[in-house]
Amino acid sequence: MAQAMAQNMFRISQVSLNNVVRCNAYAFAPATSQAKAYSSASTTDKEKSKNPIQKSVFISQSTDIFTNLALEDWMYRNFNFNNHHVLLMWRNSPCVVIGRHQNPWVETNTTNVAHQGMEIARRNSGGGTVYHDRGNLNLTFFTKREEYNRRNNLEIVSRALFREWGIESVITPREDIVVKNTYKISGTAAKLGRPNAYHHCTLLVDVNKVALRQSLHKDDKGIVTNATQSVASPIMNLCEINQHVKVERMLGAVGWEYLRTCPETLEDGGQDLINKQRGFQLINPTDNWFPGLNKLKEELSSWDWRFGKTPKFQVNKSFRVPKEFLGEGEMGVQELKVSLEVNKGIIDDVTLKLPPGLLSTNGFHGEVDVVTSLRGQPFSERAVVSLENALHDMSTKEGNLQGKSQFVMNCMRQVMQSV
Amino acid sequence: MVMSLNILRCGARISGRSINLLQNCGRYLPKLSENAFRLVSTSACRSTNVRRFTDKHEWISIDGNVGTVGISHYAQDSLGDVVYAQLPDVGTVVEQKGECGALESVKAASELYCPVSGKVVEKNASVEQTPGLINNSCYEKGWLFKVELTRPEELTGLMSEEEYEKFLKSDDH
Repeated sequence: MAQAMAQNMFRISQVSLNNVVRCNAYAFAPATSQAKAYSSASTTDKEKSKNPIQKSVFISQSTDIFTNLALEDWMYRNFNFNNHHVLLMWRNSPCVVIGRHQNPWVETNTTNVAHQGMEIARRNSGGGTVYHDRGNLNLTFFTKREEYNRRNNLEIVSRALFREWGIESVITPREDIVVKNTYKISGTAAKLGRPNAYHHCTLLVDVNKVALRQSLHKDDKGIVTNATQSVASPIMNLCEINQHVKVERMLGAVGWEYLRTCPETLEDGGQDLINKQRGFQLINPTDNWFPGLNKLKEELSSWDWRFGKTPKFQVNKSFRVPKEFLGEGEMGVQELKVSLEVNKGIIDDVTLKLPPGLLSTNGFHGEVDVVTSLRGQPFSERAVVSLENALHDMSTKEGNLQGKSQFVMNCMRQVMQSV
Repeated sequence: MVMSLNILRCGARISGRSINLLQNCGRYLPKLSENAFRLVSTSACRSTNVRRFTDKHEWISIDGNVGTVGISHYAQDSLGDVVYAQLPDVGTVVEQKGECGALESVKAASELYCPVSGKVVEKNASVEQTPGLINNSCYEKGWLFKVELTRPEELTGLMSEEEYEKFLKSDDH
Protein backbone atom coordinates (compact mmCIF):
# COMPACT_ATOMS: atom_id res chain seq x y z
CA MET A 1 0.00 0.00 0.00
CA ALA A 2 2.75 2.36 1.03
CA GLN A 3 4.75 1.37 -2.01
CA ALA A 4 1.81 2.17 -4.32
CA MET A 5 1.31 5.52 -2.63
CA ALA A 6 4.95 6.35 -3.15
CA GLN A 7 4.72 5.44 -6.79
CA ASN A 8 1.78 7.75 -7.29
CA MET A 9 3.31 10.62 -5.45
CA PHE A 10 6.81 10.47 -6.76
CA ARG A 11 6.60 8.39 -9.92
CA ILE A 12 10.05 7.00 -9.23
CA SER A 13 11.34 5.44 -12.41
CA GLN A 14 11.28 1.66 -12.73
CA VAL A 15 15.06 1.63 -12.95
CA SER A 16 15.42 3.32 -9.58
CA LEU A 17 12.91 0.99 -7.96
CA ASN A 18 14.80 -2.03 -9.26
CA ASN A 19 17.94 -0.62 -7.77
CA VAL A 20 16.17 -0.12 -4.46
CA VAL A 21 15.41 -3.82 -4.36
CA ARG A 22 18.90 -4.84 -5.53
CA CYS A 23 20.64 -2.66 -3.00
CA ASN A 24 20.81 -3.81 0.59
CA ALA A 25 17.75 -1.80 1.57
CA TYR A 26 16.94 -3.00 5.07
CA ALA A 27 13.41 -3.03 6.42
CA PHE A 28 13.00 0.05 8.51
CA ALA A 29 13.05 -1.01 12.14
CA PRO A 30 10.02 0.14 14.13
CA ALA A 31 10.61 3.63 15.41
CA THR A 32 10.28 2.59 19.04
CA SER A 33 13.40 0.48 18.90
CA GLN A 34 15.22 3.30 17.13
CA ALA A 35 14.19 5.76 19.82
CA LYS A 36 15.31 3.42 22.56
CA ALA A 37 18.57 2.69 20.79
CA TYR A 38 19.41 6.38 20.82
CA SER A 39 22.61 6.92 22.67
CA SER A 40 24.43 10.10 23.42
CA ALA A 41 27.75 8.39 24.07
CA SER A 42 30.45 9.35 21.61
CA THR A 43 31.94 6.57 19.57
CA THR A 44 35.34 5.33 20.61
CA ASP A 45 38.17 5.13 18.11
CA LYS A 46 37.91 1.36 18.16
CA GLU A 47 34.25 1.53 17.22
CA LYS A 48 34.97 3.99 14.44
CA SER A 49 37.63 1.86 12.78
CA LYS A 50 35.66 -1.34 13.25
CA ASN A 51 32.45 0.07 11.80
CA PRO A 52 32.79 2.40 8.85
CA ILE A 53 30.04 4.96 8.38
CA GLN A 54 27.11 3.61 6.42
CA LYS A 55 24.59 5.74 4.59
CA SER A 56 20.84 5.62 4.07
CA VAL A 57 18.61 7.67 1.82
CA PHE A 58 15.12 8.28 3.21
CA ILE A 59 12.35 9.62 1.00
CA SER A 60 9.38 11.14 2.77
CA GLN A 61 5.97 10.27 1.40
CA SER A 62 4.34 13.38 2.80
CA THR A 63 4.00 16.72 1.04
CA ASP A 64 2.78 18.60 4.09
CA ILE A 65 5.36 21.12 5.27
CA PHE A 66 4.54 20.70 8.95
CA THR A 67 4.73 16.91 8.78
CA ASN A 68 8.06 17.06 7.00
CA LEU A 69 9.52 19.63 9.37
CA ALA A 70 8.30 17.48 12.26
CA LEU A 71 9.92 14.41 10.72
CA GLU A 72 13.18 16.29 10.34
CA ASP A 73 12.98 17.46 13.94
CA TRP A 74 12.11 13.96 15.16
CA MET A 75 15.15 12.50 13.47
CA TYR A 76 17.39 15.24 14.82
CA ARG A 77 16.18 14.58 18.36
CA ASN A 78 15.83 10.80 18.37
CA PHE A 79 17.85 9.06 15.69
CA ASN A 80 21.18 7.44 16.43
CA PHE A 81 23.69 8.61 13.83
CA ASN A 82 26.61 6.60 15.20
CA ASN A 83 28.35 5.28 12.09
CA HIS A 84 25.18 5.99 10.16
CA HIS A 85 24.54 9.08 8.04
CA VAL A 86 21.14 9.76 6.55
CA LEU A 87 20.01 11.88 3.63
CA LEU A 88 16.31 12.75 3.90
CA MET A 89 14.62 13.95 0.73
CA TRP A 90 11.27 15.71 0.88
CA ARG A 91 8.93 17.92 -1.14
CA ASN A 92 6.08 20.16 -0.10
CA SER A 93 2.87 21.63 -1.45
CA PRO A 94 3.20 25.38 -2.05
CA CYS A 95 4.22 27.20 1.10
CA VAL A 96 6.60 29.82 2.46
CA VAL A 97 9.23 28.82 5.01
CA ILE A 98 11.00 31.39 7.16
CA GLY A 99 14.21 30.93 9.13
CA ARG A 100 14.24 30.41 12.88
CA HIS A 101 14.91 34.01 13.84
CA GLN A 102 13.04 35.82 11.11
CA ASN A 103 10.03 38.10 10.98
CA PRO A 104 7.27 36.75 8.69
CA TRP A 105 5.76 40.22 8.29
CA VAL A 106 9.07 41.53 6.97
CA GLU A 107 9.82 38.59 4.71
CA THR A 108 6.45 38.17 3.04
CA ASN A 109 2.94 39.59 2.77
CA THR A 110 1.17 37.31 5.22
CA THR A 111 -2.34 38.29 4.12
CA ASN A 112 -1.63 37.62 0.42
CA VAL A 113 0.05 34.31 1.16
CA ALA A 114 -2.93 33.22 3.25
CA HIS A 115 -5.36 34.26 0.50
CA GLN A 116 -3.50 32.05 -1.94
CA GLY A 117 -4.08 29.10 0.37
CA MET A 118 -0.41 28.79 1.29
CA GLU A 119 0.94 28.10 4.74
CA ILE A 120 3.72 30.04 6.40
CA ALA A 121 6.04 27.78 8.36
CA ARG A 122 9.01 28.57 10.59
CA ARG A 123 11.82 26.06 10.51
CA ASN A 124 14.31 25.26 13.26
CA SER A 125 17.42 26.10 11.29
CA GLY A 126 18.81 29.56 10.57
CA GLY A 127 19.01 31.37 7.26
CA GLY A 128 16.46 33.18 5.10
CA THR A 129 12.98 32.78 3.65
CA VAL A 130 12.21 30.38 0.83
CA TYR A 131 9.24 29.39 -1.28
CA HIS A 132 8.53 25.68 -1.64
CA ASP A 133 6.38 23.78 -4.10
CA ARG A 134 6.62 20.34 -5.64
CA GLY A 135 9.20 21.58 -8.12
CA ASN A 136 11.60 22.12 -5.24
CA LEU A 137 13.48 19.22 -3.68
CA ASN A 138 14.60 19.53 -0.05
CA LEU A 139 17.65 17.61 1.08
CA THR A 140 18.52 17.15 4.74
CA PHE A 141 21.94 15.67 5.56
CA PHE A 142 21.99 14.20 9.06
CA THR A 143 25.22 13.39 10.90
CA LYS A 144 26.70 13.50 14.35
CA ARG A 145 27.83 16.98 15.30
CA GLU A 146 31.51 16.16 14.80
CA GLU A 147 30.90 14.90 11.28
CA TYR A 148 28.88 17.92 10.12
CA ASN A 149 30.28 19.30 6.88
CA ARG A 150 28.12 21.48 4.64
CA ARG A 151 30.54 21.93 1.83
CA ASN A 152 30.98 18.17 1.41
CA ASN A 153 27.23 17.74 1.14
CA LEU A 154 26.94 20.46 -1.49
CA GLU A 155 29.84 18.92 -3.39
CA ILE A 156 27.83 15.69 -3.59
CA VAL A 157 24.84 17.58 -5.03
CA SER A 158 27.04 19.38 -7.52
CA ARG A 159 28.57 16.09 -8.67
CA ALA A 160 25.13 14.54 -9.07
CA LEU A 161 24.05 17.37 -11.36
CA PHE A 162 27.10 16.87 -13.49
CA ARG A 163 27.03 13.11 -13.59
CA GLU A 164 23.35 12.88 -14.52
CA TRP A 165 22.93 15.85 -16.84
CA GLY A 166 26.36 17.39 -17.38
CA ILE A 167 25.27 20.57 -15.57
CA GLU A 168 28.16 22.60 -14.19
CA SER A 169 27.61 24.34 -10.89
CA VAL A 170 29.66 26.27 -8.37
CA ILE A 171 29.45 26.42 -4.57
CA THR A 172 29.75 30.05 -3.50
CA PRO A 173 31.38 31.30 -0.26
CA ARG A 174 27.83 31.79 1.10
CA GLU A 175 27.30 28.10 0.33
CA ASP A 176 24.65 28.62 -2.29
CA ILE A 177 24.90 26.50 -5.41
CA VAL A 178 24.87 28.65 -8.54
CA VAL A 179 24.78 27.89 -12.22
CA LYS A 180 26.06 30.10 -15.05
CA ASN A 181 27.97 31.99 -12.33
CA THR A 182 24.86 33.95 -11.45
CA TYR A 183 21.73 31.99 -10.81
CA LYS A 184 21.10 30.40 -7.47
CA ILE A 185 19.59 26.92 -7.65
CA SER A 186 20.13 25.94 -4.03
CA GLY A 187 20.17 27.67 -0.63
CA THR A 188 21.50 26.23 2.60
CA ALA A 189 20.69 26.34 6.31
CA ALA A 190 21.62 24.23 9.32
CA LYS A 191 20.85 23.26 12.88
CA LEU A 192 23.62 22.30 15.27
CA GLY A 193 23.07 20.49 18.52
CA ARG A 194 24.73 17.73 20.46
CA PRO A 195 25.07 14.94 19.63
CA ASN A 196 23.30 15.50 16.28
CA ALA A 197 23.35 18.13 13.59
CA TYR A 198 21.78 18.61 10.20
CA HIS A 199 22.37 20.64 7.10
CA HIS A 200 19.50 21.11 4.70
CA CYS A 201 19.27 22.76 1.34
CA THR A 202 16.74 23.39 -1.40
CA LEU A 203 17.10 22.42 -5.05
CA LEU A 204 15.15 24.40 -7.64
CA VAL A 205 14.22 21.83 -10.24
CA ASP A 206 10.94 23.12 -11.66
CA VAL A 207 9.49 25.68 -9.32
CA ASN A 208 6.68 28.12 -10.15
CA LYS A 209 8.80 31.26 -10.44
CA VAL A 210 5.86 33.63 -10.60
CA ALA A 211 4.46 32.27 -7.34
CA LEU A 212 7.95 32.41 -5.83
CA ARG A 213 8.46 36.03 -6.75
CA GLN A 214 5.01 37.04 -5.51
CA SER A 215 5.28 35.33 -2.16
CA LEU A 216 8.80 36.56 -1.39
CA HIS A 217 8.03 40.10 -2.47
CA LYS A 218 8.93 42.57 0.27
CA ASP A 219 7.43 46.01 0.68
CA ASP A 220 8.81 48.60 2.99
CA LYS A 221 6.40 48.37 5.88
CA GLY A 222 8.38 50.51 8.27
CA ILE A 223 9.32 47.53 10.41
CA VAL A 224 12.31 48.03 12.68
CA THR A 225 13.77 44.78 14.01
CA ASN A 226 16.96 42.87 14.70
CA ALA A 227 15.54 39.68 13.21
CA THR A 228 17.77 38.00 10.64
CA GLN A 229 17.18 39.28 7.14
CA SER A 230 17.02 37.28 3.93
CA VAL A 231 19.51 37.90 1.16
CA ALA A 232 17.76 38.00 -2.21
CA SER A 233 19.41 36.31 -5.18
CA PRO A 234 18.47 35.82 -8.82
CA ILE A 235 17.25 32.27 -9.27
CA MET A 236 16.76 29.78 -12.04
CA ASN A 237 15.18 26.35 -12.42
CA LEU A 238 17.44 23.48 -13.35
CA CYS A 239 14.86 22.41 -15.95
CA GLU A 240 15.56 25.69 -17.75
CA ILE A 241 19.16 24.66 -18.26
CA ASN A 242 18.34 21.13 -19.28
CA GLN A 243 14.76 20.14 -20.14
CA HIS A 244 15.40 16.55 -19.03
CA VAL A 245 15.79 17.55 -15.39
CA LYS A 246 12.81 16.27 -13.41
CA VAL A 247 12.30 15.92 -9.66
CA GLU A 248 11.77 12.16 -9.83
CA ARG A 249 15.08 11.69 -11.61
CA MET A 250 16.74 14.11 -9.20
CA LEU A 251 15.80 11.88 -6.27
CA GLY A 252 17.80 9.05 -7.84
CA ALA A 253 20.67 11.22 -9.06
CA VAL A 254 21.39 12.82 -5.69
CA GLY A 255 20.58 9.64 -3.75
CA TRP A 256 23.05 7.49 -5.69
CA GLU A 257 25.75 10.13 -5.61
CA TYR A 258 25.33 10.34 -1.83
CA LEU A 259 25.65 6.60 -1.44
CA ARG A 260 28.68 6.23 -3.70
CA THR A 261 30.67 9.03 -2.01
CA CYS A 262 32.92 8.25 0.93
CA PRO A 263 31.81 10.42 3.87
CA GLU A 264 35.25 11.31 5.21
CA THR A 265 37.32 11.72 2.05
CA LEU A 266 34.63 12.55 -0.56
CA GLU A 267 36.18 9.89 -2.74
CA ASP A 268 33.94 8.29 -5.33
CA GLY A 269 33.61 4.65 -4.29
CA GLY A 270 31.38 3.66 -7.21
CA GLN A 271 29.08 0.66 -7.19
CA ASP A 272 31.35 -1.15 -4.72
CA LEU A 273 30.73 1.44 -2.07
CA ILE A 274 27.04 1.62 -2.91
CA ASN A 275 26.72 -2.10 -2.25
CA LYS A 276 28.01 -1.57 1.29
CA GLN A 277 25.43 1.09 2.12
CA ARG A 278 21.93 0.70 3.50
CA GLY A 279 20.21 2.03 0.40
CA PHE A 280 16.92 3.81 -0.19
CA GLN A 281 13.95 3.74 2.14
CA LEU A 282 10.48 5.17 1.64
CA ILE A 283 9.29 6.84 4.81
CA ASN A 284 5.70 7.21 5.93
CA PRO A 285 5.79 9.94 8.58
CA THR A 286 3.09 8.89 11.02
CA ASP A 287 2.94 8.83 14.79
CA ASN A 288 2.91 5.02 14.67
CA TRP A 289 6.33 4.84 13.11
CA PHE A 290 7.62 7.94 14.89
CA PRO A 291 6.11 8.22 18.37
CA GLY A 292 5.83 11.86 19.31
CA LEU A 293 5.67 13.06 15.71
CA ASN A 294 2.15 14.45 16.07
CA LYS A 295 3.18 16.54 19.04
CA LEU A 296 6.09 18.02 17.08
CA LYS A 297 3.78 18.71 14.17
CA GLU A 298 1.31 20.49 16.44
CA GLU A 299 4.04 22.72 17.83
CA LEU A 300 5.40 23.56 14.41
CA SER A 301 1.98 24.47 13.04
CA SER A 302 0.97 26.53 16.10
CA TRP A 303 0.56 30.30 15.84
CA ASP A 304 2.86 30.66 18.84
CA TRP A 305 5.78 29.06 17.00
CA ARG A 306 5.16 30.49 13.54
CA PHE A 307 4.31 34.06 14.50
CA GLY A 308 4.77 34.30 18.27
CA LYS A 309 8.44 33.35 18.00
CA THR A 310 9.14 36.51 16.00
CA PRO A 311 11.80 38.69 17.65
CA LYS A 312 10.23 41.87 19.01
CA PHE A 313 9.80 44.66 16.50
CA GLN A 314 8.36 48.09 15.90
CA VAL A 315 6.20 49.26 13.03
CA ASN A 316 6.61 52.96 12.27
CA LYS A 317 4.66 54.73 9.59
CA SER A 318 4.03 58.38 8.78
CA PHE A 319 1.13 59.83 6.89
CA ARG A 320 0.89 63.30 5.49
CA VAL A 321 -2.13 65.08 6.92
CA PRO A 322 -4.38 66.61 4.22
CA LYS A 323 -4.55 70.38 4.42
CA GLU A 324 -8.25 70.50 5.15
CA PHE A 325 -7.72 68.75 8.49
CA LEU A 326 -5.12 71.15 9.69
CA GLY A 327 -6.16 74.04 11.85
CA GLU A 328 -6.49 77.50 10.30
CA GLY A 329 -3.25 79.25 9.91
CA GLU A 330 -1.23 76.02 10.01
CA MET A 331 1.38 75.96 7.29
CA GLY A 332 3.71 73.39 5.85
CA VAL A 333 3.66 69.64 5.72
CA GLN A 334 2.51 67.89 8.85
CA GLU A 335 2.53 64.21 9.54
CA LEU A 336 0.54 61.71 11.56
CA LYS A 337 2.90 59.11 13.03
CA VAL A 338 1.72 55.61 13.89
CA SER A 339 3.93 53.35 15.98
CA LEU A 340 3.25 49.77 17.06
CA GLU A 341 5.38 47.68 19.40
CA VAL A 342 4.99 43.96 18.80
CA ASN A 343 6.47 41.40 21.14
CA LYS A 344 6.03 37.64 20.67
CA GLY A 345 3.58 38.45 17.90
CA ILE A 346 1.33 40.37 20.30
CA ILE A 347 0.74 44.11 20.04
CA ASP A 348 2.31 45.52 23.19
CA ASP A 349 1.80 49.19 22.56
CA VAL A 350 0.24 51.53 20.05
CA THR A 351 1.01 55.19 19.79
CA LEU A 352 -0.48 57.79 17.53
CA LYS A 353 1.42 61.02 17.34
CA LEU A 354 -0.77 63.74 15.96
CA PRO A 355 0.84 66.88 14.62
CA PRO A 356 -0.11 70.20 16.23
CA GLY A 357 -2.18 71.12 13.18
CA LEU A 358 -4.56 68.28 13.90
CA LEU A 359 -5.19 69.51 17.41
CA SER A 360 -8.49 71.12 17.96
CA THR A 361 -10.48 72.54 20.84
CA ASN A 362 -12.29 69.26 21.22
CA GLY A 363 -11.12 65.82 20.29
CA PHE A 364 -7.54 64.81 19.56
CA HIS A 365 -4.59 65.53 21.76
CA GLY A 366 -0.86 65.37 21.09
CA GLU A 367 -0.51 61.65 21.64
CA VAL A 368 -3.79 59.84 21.38
CA ASP A 369 -4.29 56.52 23.02
CA VAL A 370 -7.37 55.82 20.96
CA VAL A 371 -6.62 52.22 20.27
CA THR A 372 -6.17 50.61 23.69
CA SER A 373 -8.30 47.78 22.38
CA LEU A 374 -5.39 46.79 20.15
CA ARG A 375 -3.09 46.08 23.06
CA GLY A 376 -2.72 42.40 23.77
CA GLN A 377 -4.10 41.43 20.37
CA PRO A 378 -2.12 39.14 18.10
CA PHE A 379 -0.66 41.12 15.21
CA SER A 380 -3.16 39.87 12.66
CA GLU A 381 -6.35 40.56 10.76
CA ARG A 382 -8.32 40.24 13.97
CA ALA A 383 -6.47 43.26 15.27
CA VAL A 384 -7.48 45.28 12.20
CA VAL A 385 -11.15 44.54 12.83
CA SER A 386 -10.79 45.47 16.48
CA LEU A 387 -9.12 48.71 15.46
CA GLU A 388 -11.92 49.53 13.02
CA ASN A 389 -14.46 49.08 15.77
CA ALA A 390 -12.52 51.27 18.18
CA LEU A 391 -12.13 54.09 15.69
CA HIS A 392 -15.73 53.80 14.55
CA ASP A 393 -16.92 54.20 18.15
CA MET A 394 -14.74 57.21 18.55
CA SER A 395 -15.94 58.89 15.40
CA THR A 396 -19.63 58.37 16.21
CA LYS A 397 -19.13 59.95 19.63
CA GLU A 398 -17.53 63.07 18.22
CA GLY A 399 -19.57 63.59 15.11
CA ASN A 400 -18.04 66.88 14.05
CA LEU A 401 -14.62 65.27 13.90
CA GLN A 402 -15.73 62.66 11.40
CA GLY A 403 -13.44 63.78 8.61
CA LYS A 404 -10.38 63.82 10.81
CA SER A 405 -11.10 60.52 12.52
CA GLN A 406 -11.82 58.95 9.15
CA PHE A 407 -8.40 60.01 8.06
CA VAL A 408 -6.77 58.58 11.18
CA MET A 409 -8.76 55.37 10.74
CA ASN A 410 -7.58 55.01 7.16
CA CYS A 411 -3.99 55.49 8.20
CA MET A 412 -4.22 52.84 10.89
CA ARG A 413 -5.93 50.46 8.49
CA GLN A 414 -3.14 50.97 5.98
CA VAL A 415 -0.50 50.15 8.57
CA MET A 416 -2.18 46.92 9.60
CA GLN A 417 -3.11 45.76 6.13
CA SER A 418 0.23 46.48 4.55
CA VAL A 419 1.79 43.69 6.57
CA MET B 1 43.56 37.63 58.28
CA VAL B 2 44.24 33.95 57.50
CA MET B 3 41.29 32.88 59.64
CA SER B 4 38.98 35.29 57.83
CA LEU B 5 39.95 33.89 54.44
CA ASN B 6 39.32 30.34 55.62
CA ILE B 7 35.89 31.25 56.92
CA LEU B 8 35.05 32.87 53.63
CA ARG B 9 36.25 29.89 51.56
CA CYS B 10 34.76 27.00 53.46
CA GLY B 11 31.14 28.08 53.39
CA ALA B 12 29.30 25.64 51.12
CA ARG B 13 26.65 28.20 50.34
CA ILE B 14 28.37 31.53 50.33
CA SER B 15 25.76 34.17 50.85
CA GLY B 16 24.94 36.30 47.89
CA ARG B 17 26.07 39.38 49.63
CA SER B 18 29.66 39.09 50.76
CA ILE B 19 29.13 42.11 52.97
CA ASN B 20 26.92 40.05 55.32
CA LEU B 21 29.63 37.41 55.56
CA LEU B 22 32.22 39.96 56.47
CA GLN B 23 29.96 41.39 59.13
CA ASN B 24 29.65 37.91 60.62
CA CYS B 25 33.40 37.47 60.45
CA GLY B 26 33.77 40.63 62.47
CA ARG B 27 32.48 38.73 65.49
CA TYR B 28 35.48 36.39 65.39
CA LEU B 29 38.22 38.73 64.32
CA PRO B 30 39.91 41.65 65.95
CA LYS B 31 38.87 44.93 64.42
CA LEU B 32 40.70 45.40 61.16
CA SER B 33 40.86 48.53 59.15
CA GLU B 34 38.22 49.10 56.48
CA ASN B 35 40.75 48.76 53.71
CA ALA B 36 41.74 45.32 54.90
CA PHE B 37 38.09 44.21 54.78
CA ARG B 38 37.71 45.60 51.32
CA LEU B 39 40.77 43.64 50.17
CA VAL B 40 39.36 40.45 51.65
CA SER B 41 36.01 41.07 50.01
CA THR B 42 37.57 41.39 46.54
CA SER B 43 39.53 38.16 46.77
CA ALA B 44 36.43 36.36 48.07
CA CYS B 45 34.53 37.45 44.97
CA ARG B 46 37.36 36.30 42.72
CA SER B 47 37.49 32.88 44.33
CA THR B 48 33.76 32.38 43.92
CA ASN B 49 33.89 33.65 40.33
CA VAL B 50 35.96 30.72 39.08
CA ARG B 51 34.59 29.48 35.81
CA ARG B 52 33.35 25.94 35.29
CA PHE B 53 32.92 24.46 31.83
CA THR B 54 30.66 21.93 30.15
CA ASP B 55 31.54 19.52 27.36
CA LYS B 56 29.20 21.58 25.19
CA HIS B 57 31.60 24.52 25.52
CA GLU B 58 29.51 26.66 27.82
CA TRP B 59 30.90 28.28 30.95
CA ILE B 60 29.28 29.31 34.19
CA SER B 61 30.64 31.53 36.92
CA ILE B 62 28.96 31.67 40.30
CA ASP B 63 28.22 34.61 42.53
CA GLY B 64 26.31 33.43 45.56
CA ASN B 65 23.44 31.38 44.22
CA VAL B 66 23.38 33.01 40.81
CA GLY B 67 25.38 31.69 37.89
CA THR B 68 26.33 33.71 34.82
CA VAL B 69 26.38 31.62 31.65
CA GLY B 70 28.25 32.15 28.40
CA ILE B 71 30.05 30.23 25.68
CA SER B 72 33.77 29.58 25.53
CA HIS B 73 36.30 31.09 23.16
CA TYR B 74 36.51 27.79 21.31
CA ALA B 75 32.72 27.82 20.81
CA GLN B 76 32.50 31.40 19.54
CA ASP B 77 35.42 30.79 17.23
CA SER B 78 33.89 27.70 15.67
CA LEU B 79 30.50 29.40 15.36
CA GLY B 80 31.75 32.31 13.34
CA ASP B 81 30.09 35.72 13.47
CA VAL B 82 26.97 35.50 15.58
CA VAL B 83 24.12 37.37 13.88
CA TYR B 84 21.33 36.57 16.32
CA ALA B 85 21.15 35.47 19.93
CA GLN B 86 17.93 33.89 21.14
CA LEU B 87 18.18 33.88 24.92
CA PRO B 88 15.80 32.34 27.46
CA ASP B 89 13.29 34.76 28.97
CA VAL B 90 13.47 35.82 32.60
CA GLY B 91 11.45 33.40 34.69
CA THR B 92 12.10 30.39 32.45
CA VAL B 93 12.74 27.22 34.41
CA VAL B 94 15.77 25.42 32.99
CA GLU B 95 17.13 21.91 33.40
CA GLN B 96 20.77 20.96 33.31
CA LYS B 97 21.72 19.96 29.74
CA GLY B 98 18.32 21.16 28.53
CA GLU B 99 17.99 23.36 25.46
CA CYS B 100 17.43 26.95 26.47
CA GLY B 101 18.08 29.08 23.41
CA ALA B 102 20.04 29.35 20.19
CA LEU B 103 22.79 31.34 18.53
CA GLU B 104 22.61 31.91 14.81
CA SER B 105 25.70 32.31 12.68
CA VAL B 106 26.41 31.62 9.01
CA LYS B 107 22.85 30.35 8.53
CA ALA B 108 23.26 27.74 11.23
CA ALA B 109 21.21 27.82 14.42
CA SER B 110 23.31 26.33 17.25
CA GLU B 111 21.51 25.14 20.34
CA LEU B 112 22.35 26.59 23.72
CA TYR B 113 22.35 24.10 26.55
CA CYS B 114 21.99 25.13 30.18
CA PRO B 115 24.94 24.04 32.39
CA VAL B 116 22.78 23.88 35.53
CA SER B 117 19.18 23.59 36.63
CA GLY B 118 17.36 26.62 37.93
CA LYS B 119 15.42 29.71 36.96
CA VAL B 120 16.57 32.42 34.59
CA VAL B 121 16.81 35.74 36.45
CA GLU B 122 18.42 37.95 33.83
CA LYS B 123 19.34 37.90 30.18
CA ASN B 124 21.91 40.12 28.50
CA ALA B 125 19.94 42.69 26.50
CA SER B 126 23.18 44.12 25.04
CA VAL B 127 23.95 40.78 23.44
CA GLU B 128 20.44 40.64 21.99
CA GLN B 129 21.04 44.04 20.47
CA THR B 130 24.65 43.42 19.48
CA PRO B 131 25.26 39.67 19.06
CA GLY B 132 28.85 40.39 17.98
CA LEU B 133 29.73 40.89 21.66
CA ILE B 134 29.72 37.11 21.94
CA ASN B 135 32.56 36.92 19.43
CA ASN B 136 34.52 39.89 20.77
CA SER B 137 34.15 39.34 24.46
CA CYS B 138 32.79 35.89 25.21
CA TYR B 139 33.87 35.89 28.87
CA GLU B 140 33.04 39.47 29.77
CA LYS B 141 30.53 41.60 27.87
CA GLY B 142 29.27 38.61 25.85
CA TRP B 143 27.68 36.81 28.81
CA LEU B 144 24.32 35.35 27.85
CA PHE B 145 22.05 34.94 30.85
CA LYS B 146 22.01 34.49 34.62
CA VAL B 147 20.35 31.61 36.39
CA GLU B 148 19.39 31.10 40.02
CA LEU B 149 20.59 27.59 40.86
CA THR B 150 18.21 25.04 42.29
CA ARG B 151 20.80 22.24 42.49
CA PRO B 152 24.24 23.74 43.20
CA GLU B 153 25.72 20.24 43.52
CA GLU B 154 25.54 20.03 39.71
CA LEU B 155 28.57 22.33 39.60
CA THR B 156 30.87 19.59 40.85
CA GLY B 157 30.20 17.61 37.68
CA LEU B 158 31.50 20.42 35.48
CA MET B 159 35.08 20.90 34.35
CA SER B 160 37.54 23.37 35.78
CA GLU B 161 39.31 25.68 33.36
CA GLU B 162 42.34 23.39 33.39
CA GLU B 163 40.26 20.30 32.74
CA TYR B 164 38.46 22.11 29.93
CA GLU B 165 41.74 23.07 28.25
CA LYS B 166 42.77 19.41 28.42
CA PHE B 167 39.40 18.38 27.00
CA LEU B 168 39.88 20.72 24.04
CA LYS B 169 43.22 19.13 23.25
CA SER B 170 41.73 15.64 23.25
CA ASP B 171 39.93 14.13 20.27
CA ASP B 172 36.56 13.94 21.94
CA HIS B 173 35.53 17.58 21.72
